Formats: sequence, structure tokens, C-alpha cells
Amino acid sequence: MKFIKSLVAAAALSALSATAALAATKIDMFFPVPVDGALAKEMQNLIVRFNKENPDIEVTGVYTGSYDETDIKTRAAIKAGKPPAAVIMSANFITQYHIDDLIQPLDSFAEADGKTPDAFMNQFWPALHGNARVDGKIYGVPFHNSTPLLYYNVEAFKEAGLDPEKPPVTWTDWITVAKKLTKRDGDKVTRWGLMIPGVYDTLGWTMSALNMSNGGQYYNPDFGGEIYYDTPSMLGALTLVDDLIHKYKVMPEGATQMPTINNSFFGGQAAMIIASTGSLSFIRQSMKTPYKVAFIPRNLRNAVPIGGASLIIPKGNSPERDQAAWKLIKWLTSPEIAGGWSRFTGYFAPNKAAYDLPEMKSFLAEHPDAKVALDQLAYARSWFATYNTTAVRKALEDEVQAVMSGKKKPAAALKAAQANADQLLRPYVEATALNLPE
Amino acid sequence: MSDAVFRDNLALAQPVAPPAARKKRDSSAPTAALLLAPSLLFLALFTYAPILQALTQAFTIEKFGGKFAGYGFGNFQRLFFDAAFQKAFANTFLYGIGTVAPSLVIAVILAAALQESTRFNNLLRTIFFFPTLLPLVAAAALGSFVLMPGAGLLDYYLAQLGAAQTNWLGDPDIALYSIIGLTIWKNAGYYMLFALAGLQGIPSDIHEAAKLDGAGPITRFFRITLPLLMPTLAVIVVIALINVVTQVDHVIVLTGGGPSDSTNVLLNYIFQAAHEQHDIGRGAAATIVSVALLLALSFVSLKTLERGMHYES
Repeated sequence: MKFIKSLVAAAALSALSATAALAATKIDMFFPVPVDGALAKEMQNLIVRFNKENPDIEVTGVYTGSYDETDIKTRAAIKAGKPPAAVIMSANFITQYHIDDLIQPLDSFAEADGKTPDAFMNQFWPALHGNARVDGKIYGVPFHNSTPLLYYNVEAFKEAGLDPEKPPVTWTDWITVAKKLTKRDGDKVTRWGLMIPGVYDTLGWTMSALNMSNGGQYYNPDFGGEIYYDTPSMLGALTLVDDLIHKYKVMPEGATQMPTINNSFFGGQAAMIIASTGSLSFIRQSMKTPYKVAFIPRNLRNAVPIGGASLIIPKGNSPERDQAAWKLIKWLTSPEIAGGWSRFTGYFAPNKAAYDLPEMKSFLAEHPDAKVALDQLAYARSWFATYNTTAVRKALEDEVQAVMSGKKKPAAALKAAQANADQLLRPYVEATALNLPE
Repeated sequence: MSDAVFRDNLALAQPVAPPAARKKRDSSAPTAALLLAPSLLFLALFTYAPILQALTQAFTIEKFGGKFAGYGFGNFQRLFFDAAFQKAFANTFLYGIGTVAPSLVIAVILAAALQESTRFNNLLRTIFFFPTLLPLVAAAALGSFVLMPGAGLLDYYLAQLGAAQTNWLGDPDIALYSIIGLTIWKNAGYYMLFALAGLQGIPSDIHEAAKLDGAGPITRFFRITLPLLMPTLAVIVVIALINVVTQVDHVIVLTGGGPSDSTNVLLNYIFQAAHEQHDIGRGAAATIVSVALLLALSFVSLKTLERGMHYES
């Protein structure tokens, strides 16, 4: 009986949804999940909710893997003539999409809603504007964002005679603290003072944070053909890394993998680590002993790059699909939805108004670590974005890894990184800045 | 014995089917073609067409922004002068030698040791074969925990023996060897299965005759078993070579080709050229080069091993 009942219910439901679908604009949204599987499920929940609230639109969420895989799949879909209606795209890939002329400027959508582009962008934190607006036009709507953060083990601090309420603020403090936190047993190190990620992608981001804390900003935000690796601010940042490993021996040699960093921090073999604010929820759930978070220590100033993703609308869809995508984008970046997603993931909500909601206020009061992440946002800046961003970033990362492994000295490494990056940027530079009137 | 081999070779040289049977097959040709058509269609769509496309792309020169600029060898020229390609090529070469030869030796030793079908041997065979059942991605994910410096399984037990910490995947001098080790562990059991099948095909009377003549187990292995196993070994070498060029999951999961490109192999290089640098032409050229290399290697290894082969029914 129960079975028949549920069968009837299912039939009725499918008939209902079939009629709804008949009228609805069907769109698809590609979305990556950078951190873990639970996020993919939560995203599907959000899409179900949106479809219920907007019967005229039927969104299909397509999980497309990591940020890099999402980039590949989006490009493949555009090339095949079937562009997705909306994509959650790594914020620093937007410049390349604009160079390749694959995405739409969104200013006219905002204007149609009666908002100036400036007013539209002003709902988001200022740090996010640089990567969302390229050449004066809005190409991305910030969806979730992060910054690098210093995580530290409270018990290790106490054991080393340090005050856990006073995290290192300057690079000088950082070295002193790291030395005290490093525990040795003969030749062996049983607890490292600090670990930073040494793998592609995260390493470039971390180096960018150190470079910014040293007064640098290693790309030209107005022109994607220039990168400044061979500079004093970068030399200082890379020398710090070299010294932490080879001079003070408070950081392990070689490129440290992500699982190693996480497990070492959870297991107490690393007293401090640099990780994304996007890892907050993951670390909160996995860490058994007390931890705290702090700003990335500075040499000249407090400054970190943003990370995370924005929503884009590729070219080549029908106006109806574009409109439906815009509606979805506005919904996903609204204070309520963005705030909920932020609490679920640990990313901060790009929409400032999210933090005025009572549930967000009580969440921050309950989780002071999320508050620190938000406070650091005041010092955040744009994420480096150039032509061929991934490859240009790798040019630096390969050389930093060589320094971390003791194969090269910082000055020589940066010279090589600059030469390799310049070569990668060459085709774009020749087609633009060096393309002169004859 | 040499007579028997000679006769078998003669038998191989003769046409396989008698004329009557061939005629019958001809009459059913349309049916056969019809039955094969679906798979042929899919092969054409998903194998032959992409091969053609890769070939065209490799010889197509594009200007900035993907604008067509003619045909030529420009992509290959850029490829060969690219230091990253040279590095990937050298890495693949080292990775090939480092995985194929040891896996082959281990496979033959395991097969020879576990040839007798006892219950204990069956258990051991299952244990050695087990890694084959794991997807390469899963094996790599396991590997990332085993190879973790300090806290990982490998370092933990090495520390008990008094060894210092090693950054298995983060040291550019060691990373490729860590990946080679994982690959051998993953593949040797699979190759053992081929070697076992090959060993079953060697008639026991030859061994008995040799025993009567006073040959010890080592002499018998090198004079009888190994020569008669050659056709099987040729197959294993070709499969192993194909694996060298086509398996990349573990590299992507464990190191992404780093640190400092020290584990970057050809397939990962192709991925980087095509998808990270959006340079389809150079990616296609690298594809053509590695496939050509693979074909040549397979051909040469089959030919060389065939020369020393003894066929046995």
C-alpha cells in the first residue's frame, strides 16, 4: 500500500515538474569544488532551492572538478558551441577569458536593473573589485573568496613558553617564534616551527602573500603582459623562505605537499602553517587540539592576495538564457545565500551586507577564527592575473621549489623565473604592447 | 627438441585455414561487415578522427588568438627547443627504464617462485596481484600518505631503523624514483600474471629431460624457462612501454610534475602545453612525437625479442 502511494506521489510529482519544465528557461551552470565533496552536495541543494523559488527557470548544476578542470571544461564547451549559461570560475582566470574574448561584460545587466556598475560593485568588498573588473568593465561577480592565513597550534605555543594570544606580527617575530617552536631530537625534528605549501598553485599564491607583505605586487593589474618576479620585494620574500629552511632550519627542506601540511598540523608536527581561509571549516572539523589564526606576518605592510571564485557569463548564449543566468548569479551572490555558503565553507562572503544579518553576527561571535579572516580582508588586494596565468605562475613556482630544495639561490632563481615568464608572455606582448603602427 | 621447434615454425608458416573454409567465410562477408559496422563507427568517431585531428593540429601554425597562419613544422621546432620538453623527455626515458626493467624481473621471479599451484601460493599470488585491482588514482592517493615525510608509513618504519626523514615527493632528486617505486608496486603483479600463464605453457617433459641430464634449477631456468618465456616477455615489455607513455594519474595526483619539473613526464607535458598554456599546436606536436616513439619502441622490442624466440606449442 505504502509502495503504491509513493508511486502515485512520484507520478504526480514528475507530471508537475514536467509542466513546470515546459515553461521554464533551461540553463546549466558549471561549478568547481576546490575543497571537499560536501561542498558539491551543498551546491546541489542550493540549486534545488533556486529552482523551487524560480519556477520560470530550471538550472542544472554541473560539477566540473577543480578550478583548473572547470577552466578546461568551460573552454571545451565554448569551443563546441554549447557554452554553459554561467560558470563559477577561479577569479584570476577572468583576465585570460577577457583576452580570449570568451565572456560578456555584465555592466548592461546591472544597468537594466537600475544600478550603475559602480553601485553594483560596491555591494562587494573593495579587495575583490580588481579581479572582477577588467579594462573598466565588470566580467565577474564575486561568489566566494579567501585569503591566506596563519594557523597556529595553541598548545605548542604554550609549551614553547609563548603567549598564544600574541601571534607573530612581523617577520622578525615570525622567525623568533618559529625557532622556539621547532623541537629537535638529536638530528631529527619532531616538530617544525612552520610549514608552507610547496606544490603548484598554492605555492604561487603563498609567495604572492609574502611578496605583498614585503611591499610588492608582482603583476601589472592593467596589462596582462607584464610580470615582476626579479624585484627587490620578491628577492626579500624568497630569501625569507630560503632562510627559514636552510639558515634557521625551522621549515622542512623541499616542496611540502598539501596532505603533509594538513596532517602535520593536525598531528602536532607543525606548529604553524599557512593555509587558505577556505580551509577554515575543514581545519575546524579535523583539528583535535586548540588552534588559532592570525594575519600573515609582515615585513613592510600587511597585505595578502585574495583567492576564490567569481561567476561569469560566457558569450554565445541566447538572451533568455543570459537573463536567467543573471538572475541565478544575483540570487547566489545575495547576502542571505552568500552568507549561508560562507558559514558552510569557511570562505568569506563577498557581499558586505551578508555580515549585517543576525545569523552571521552570531556565527562570528561563536567562531573568532572566521572573524580574523574577515578582518584581514581590509588588507587584501587583487590576485595576480595575466595572460596564461597558470603557466606564468608555474615559471615562478618551479624556481621557488628549486630554492626550497637547496638547488638554487634566490637571486639566480628569480632571474630564471623572470626569463621563463617573459617568454610565456611574449605572444601576447607582441600582439599588444609591441604591436606598433607601421 | 630443435626438430620440434622447426616443425612448429613450419606449421606457423602454412595458411591457417583450408581453402574450403575460406570460401565459406567470404560468403558471410556482408553479415560480418554489418556486425562490425557499429564498432567501426565508434572507432572512426572516437579513435581515427581524433588521430587525424591531432595530426592536423600538429602541423597547423596559429598566430596569437588562435588565428590560422598556414601549415608547417613550426610547432615541432618550438617543441624541440623547449627546455621543459627536453626535461619531460629525459624524465620519461628514465621513468621507462626505471619501471619496465625492474617490473619485468620481479614479475618473472614471482611467477617462477609461485608456479606450483598450492593453496599458499595462490594466496601469495592474490596478494601480489592485488595492486592491479586498484585504480591508479587510488593507488596514488594511498601513496601520498605512505610517502608523507615524518608521519607517513614508509618514513615511520625507516625511522625505527634509524634513518633520517626523507621528503619523498618534495625533493627533486628523489621524487621521480618515488613515483617509479609506486609504479613498480602497482604493475609488477599484473605482469606476473602473464609470466605465470607463459610458464604454464612450458611442457614439463623438457624440464624432466633436463633434470635427467643433471641440470640444476638455475641452469634449467636460464637454459629452458627463460628462452621459452621470450614470447610472453615480449608482450609484457610492449604493455609496460604503453603504460609508461599512457599512465599519468599518479604523477598528477602526487606531484603535478613538480617539484621544479622533476617528475614531469610527456603526457603531463602535453596536458600543460594544451590546457595550461593554451598552445594546442605544441601539445599536438608533443602527442605525435610520443606516439611515434611508442610505436617505434614497441616495434623494435617485438623484433629483437622475436629473433631470440623459440616457439613451443
